This record gives sequence, structure tokens and C-alpha cells, in this order.
Amino acid sequence: MIQKRLLKLSSFIVLMLLGSLLCVIAVRAQQPLRWGADPSGGAPYIYNDPKHPDQYIGYEKEMVDALATAMGRRAEFVPSDWETLVSALQRRSFDVIVNGLEPTADRIKQIQFSKPYYIFQLALTVRNDEQQIKTLADCRKRVVGTLGNTAASRLLQKEGIPMRGYADPVAAYRDLELKRIDAVLMDVPAEVFYVSKSATLKRAGEPFFRGTYNIGLRLGDDVLKAEVDRGIDKIINDGTLEQILRKWGLWNDAQVELQTQIKSGEQIAPANDLTSSTFNWPEALWRLARAALVTVLVAFGAMIIAVVLGLPLAIGQSKGPRWLQWLCTIYIEFFRGTPVLVQLLFLYFGLPTIGLAMPGWLTALVGLGLNYAAYESQVYRAALEAIPRGQWEAAYLLGMNPLLAFRRIILPQSFRIALPPMTNDFVSLFKDTSVAYAISVWELATAYRELANASGQFLLLGVVVSIFYLAMSLPMAHVARRLERRLQRREAIQAVEAEIV
Amino acid sequence: MAGSGPSLNGPYREMIRVKDLIKQANGTRILRGVSFTVAPQSVLGVIGASGSGKTTLLRCLNGLERIDGGVIECEAIRLEKNLSPHEYARRVKELRRKAGTVFQHLYLFPHLTVLGNIIEAPVHVLRVPRREAETEAYELLESVGLTEKARRYPESLSGGEQQRVAIARALAMHPALLMFDEPTSALDPKRSAGLRSLLRGFVTRGHTMVIVSHSISFLDGLADQLLYLEGGEVVEFGETEQILRAPVDPRTRDFVQQAK
Repeated sequence: MIQKRLLKLSSFIVLMLLGSLLCVIAVRAQQPLRWGADPSGGAPYIYNDPKHPDQYIGYEKEMVDALATAMGRRAEFVPSDWETLVSALQRRSFDVIVNGLEPTADRIKQIQFSKPYYIFQLALTVRNDEQQIKTLADCRKRVVGTLGNTAASRLLQKEGIPMRGYADPVAAYRDLELKRIDAVLMDVPAEVFYVSKSATLKRAGEPFFRGTYNIGLRLGDDVLKAEVDRGIDKIINDGTLEQILRKWGLWNDAQVELQTQIKSGEQIAPANDLTSSTFNWPEALWRLARAALVTVLVAFGAMIIAVVLGLPLAIGQSKGPRWLQWLCTIYIEFFRGTPVLVQLLFLYFGLPTIGLAMPGWLTALVGLGLNYAAYESQVYRAALEAIPRGQWEAAYLLGMNPLLAFRRIILPQSFRIALPPMTNDFVSLFKDTSVAYAISVWELATAYRELANASGQFLLLGVVVSIFYLAMSLPMAHVARRLERRLQRREAIQAVEAEIV
Repeated sequence: MAGSGPSLNGPYREMIRVKDLIKQANGTRILRGVSFTVAPQSVLGVIGASGSGKTTLLRCLNGLERIDGGVIECEAIRLEKNLSPHEYARRVKELRRKAGTVFQHLYLFPHLTVLGNIIEAPVHVLRVPRREAETEAYELLESVGLTEKARRYPESLSGGEQQRVAIARALAMHPALLMFDEPTSALDPKRSAGLRSLLRGFVTRGHTMVIVSHSISFLDGLADQLLYLEGGEVVEFGETEQILRAPVDPRTRDFVQQAK
């Protein structure tokens, strides 16, 4: 009885505590200005301070701090991902986006924007030895890198210039240096930051195009929007923003113009907008189909590497001399024990430092191939060990040497044992090609991310992409099953015949 | 072709001479100085309880185990302990060209048809043209009564049929010597009798045989000589008649009586 009452009491206390905790959280949530931005490769907007990797710096970081102070709040930074900023805002991961965000027509459908705080221009970057590219018009037959889903990427699309979308500027400039692309089109703040430091890159022509950076807010958060607008007025009027921009080398005539307009209380018309606001489904499907082709290419290429390389690994590990056994084991454990994503990033960004620069798709193909070779070697090893020793001995007693016995007697039997797990691996390799998005390979997963982020059609595109994956993986599994069955059928027929006789 | 050493067995020119054969594994001696000879076109039966070293003796004779002492001679090929690994392997290879083995568990190649099992070694080791090898394989299959099963896979055959495939596979390499490990272990008495008459046929066609078996009734009337092993030692070695009807050693007598 007492125990029961105690239990009741204690659960009541726990509930009370939880309730009060929730109240405290709710009250505190009123206070900070939670802002989202992508700090990875985000200089000079917001990025990890190389001197203090635990802290963030950047002109927008300083601006938001000033803005929050002007609003009587405390700024709280929520690191996020550039391409999914809008959906993260809608999911309430944070309350405002401050990340050099342009108020494009398609975004205006999903979120609302504050008044502008910065006017940006675009700048084209090429390698120092580049003679032919002087303006964007010279890039018609060249590949230009830029950030996905930006004014720059839309401009390239509109002009019909071959484009590669990157998740951060560092990767784009790096690929330009490595000659994987021919030029980079980027907003001036990023361009100033990276190109001024580079010894191998230069600006081509003068900055062009004009657009504004605004702060993004959820539709319906009108009170917060008014608050933010007042805050922007304040930091412009008291010169705080000017000071910050000057410090970062971003102060120019365009800013003078913008601030004068704001100081005089003028309404600012939305900047010129490039976006074709309706989502072009036929074109999207065409792009997805091309991405699917890349996926298939990468998957098949990688599997060939894995199947071929797996065999010497398996034999080296189980039958080779000691040093070879060690080497094979280290290889296998390294590739099985580290994430394939890290391996790809290493191959893509690490190898070029020793002069080995491969294009993205080849990096993905080789990387996944090397990775899966480790797995296939274990499949082979198990299959080889499953063959009784007597099979080897029978072959030897018939006069075969080890190589012949292996090739004619052991390998065919092991292959049959290895086939089902190999099929499984192939299907999962096929799905693993999606990690290639990390190195900007335009395969299906990347295509999905970019198209869905540009259009907001996460659900429909998701279904379409899934259908693409299934359309490729199901036939593959089917073919593998048939192959397996054909190998077994010969014996099965014999067995049935034997029964009948 | 015969070796130059003194003959141990009367006027015969021996096919096999084994002298003081020692084999050890993990520090214990499995064979402790085994000696015997086998005349050409004769049959030696090796008998003894399980664990007596019969199978190890066979594995030494076909080179699957390296010997730790004594001598094995098969016609002009001589195996002994002090050979370099390379030289030992070379001689074993030569030896295997003369000797075919049929394992207790057969170890047919499951991924090949009956015909494929038989022609595999002739085609890939002896480089006999496939057509020629197949013609000969059919002759061998006829001699073991399996012609109509040539295109089958081993899995679909009965145990007795599988054994005859294994015999045909060994014969395809034209060995002068045939070795069997427990050939009757999977056969009923009727099939055992059938196998015995099949093997007798091979002897009349000129083959020499070593048969390891625990079945005395199978060896009676097939083996010319018997070798009784106990604990890795030869207890008695002599004519089959003498060993079965008038064993000298009491241990042999006990074993023969129990086996009957």
C-alpha cells in the first residue's frame, strides 16, 4: 500500500519537474535569435576560425551578433547545410537564415525575406594560365563550377553553360586548380576571400550582375520579421554594418547606394530575379536519367574492380607469405573499418596533393571499387575455405599442380558458393554510389538533392528517384538470381532424372 | 626399371618396397618402422583397427604426407627423409604418374559431369586431345558399367556408382598402381562382391593394388598378401591364406577372429 502511494507520489514529482523544465525551455526560446547557416567552406560569411577551430568567424557572424544586440537578443548559431537551409528553417531547426541568401522567386513561395542588408555581384574566376575565358560568354563549351541553387547557378542554367554544382566554394576552387573544371562563378564576397589568397587563380573580367542578400524567415513569423527589419535599420543607421563590411574588405559603391536608400527610408524593390519559377519536369526527368546513367557506370565499374581485386587479396591473405598476409589484412581492415565516405573524400581531396587528380566520377568508381574489393575478398575467402581439402588432394593425386587445381577444380566450386553474397554486395554497392554526392559527382542522389532543393518537390522527386533506383536494382537482382539458378539447375535436373530412373 | 637394392621378397621384381617407414605428427609416431614389398600385378591388403595407421600409410605412399624416416621405393622412384622439399615434391609428382588413388570419400568434382571428372586430368595434365580423352573415358565407363551416366553430375549418382566413377577417373591416368582407402565402407555386401570382381579384372589386366580395408571378407580371395598393422607397427605380413588361416602372432589371430 505504502509502496503504491510512494510510486504515485514519485511519478507526480517527475511529471512536475518535466513540466517546469518544459516551461523554462519555452520561456528561454523567446530569448535567443537562432540563426542557421552553412559554415563548411563558408568563408567569409561564416566559417571555422582556423586559429580557434572551436569558434566561428565571418562577416555575417559579426553582423548577426550586432543585429541580435540591436534586437535585444542573444545570437545563437545553428550550423546547417547550405542546400537544405530552407527546409531546415521550415522544420524549425532555427528561426532565421543568414547565409548570403538571395530572395529568389521560388524561395519567396516557401519563406519570406527581411529587407536586404547587402548587395552582391558575381565574379568569374579562372586559372592564371587561362587565356581564352574573359567573360561568361566564353564559357559556352567549358564547365563552370558554382554553388548549387544560387543566383550564379541559375544564371549559368539560363545561359545554357555547362555547370557543376558544389556544396561549398572551397571544393569548387580546388577543382578549378586541379583542372577538373575551367572556371568558377561565385558571389564576390566568397570570390574575394578565396581568390585573393590563391597563387594560381585570377579574376576574369569585372564583377557583374546585382542581387541582394536578405534574411530568410518562416512564412507567418511577421512579428519577428518586423523586429529583424528594425534591427537591420539600426545597424545600418549607426554604422555598425559599414564597419564590419569595411573590416572584411566588402565595402563598395553598391553598399553605399543600398545603405543610403535604407537610411532615407526608401522601400527597396526586389532585385532582378533570374529564376524560372515553374519547375520544368521534363527537363528534371532528363537530368535524373543522365544521373542514373552515371550511377550505373560507377556501380558497374566499381564492381569489376572489386571482383577482380578481391581474388588476389583473398589468396594473399590466406595463402601468401607472412608479409603479404599482413599487407592484405591491413588493406582489408582499413577499407572495412573506415567509412567509405571518408575514403572518397580522401581520394578526391587528398590524392591531388601528391599529384594524382582524378575526375569525380572516376574517384567514386575507384574508391568504391577499392572499398568493395575488401568485402569481396572476405566472400571469396569464406567460399575457398568451404571447399573440402580432399578436393585439393584429389586434384593433386591426378597430377595437377596447385595453380591448375585452383583454376579448374577449386575456383569453379567456390564461385558458386560466393555468387549469392556477391549479388547482395552488388546491390548494396549500387546504393552506396549515393555517397559520391560528397565529391560532387552528378549521380542520382546528388541529382535528387539539388533538384529537390531547387524546387521544394522533395516528395514527388523522391518517389521518382526511388523508381529510378528500383528500375535498376530489381533487374540486376533478377539476373543474378537467374544465373544462380542456372548454375544449380544442371545438378537439379540430374537429381530429378535420377529419381525418375 | 627396378631399383638395385637387394630383393626382400624372393624372386619377385617388386613394384613397391617400403623399409623402416616412420611418420610422426604432433610429436607422436603414427608409423613406427613399417616394411613390406608389393610385387607387380599383385594385390596387397592392409588391415588393422582404426587408428592403426592404415590410412596414414596410404597417404605416405601417394605423397600426401611427407615421411619422417625410412624409404619408400616405387620402381625407380625413391622417397626418403633427407631430400630437399623441392626434390621431394619432384619425386612425388613422378610417383603420382604411376599411382592412382581412390579415397574413402571419393572427392569427385561436383561441378563436372561424370565424363568431365574422367577427362579433366588427361586433358589438362597429359594434354590429350579432348576427343581422344572422351573416347577413352567411354571405354573406361563401359568397363565399370556406367556408360549411360556419362552426362550426369556425381551428385545424382548412388554411392556405388560414384565410387566406380572415382575408379574410372584414377584409371584414366594409366597408373600401374591403384590404391584404395576403405573401398567397401559405403557398400552393401552384394555391391562389395561386385566391386571385388571388378578389381580382380583390373589385376588380370596388369594393375598392382594396395587396398586399405577393415573388411577381411572383402580382401579374402582378392589380396595376394596381407599386412596387419597395430599401433603403427607391422604385426604380421605374409600370404593372405597364411594370415587368415594360420596367423603366427596371437594379436593377428585375435583381430582375424573378431573381424570374422
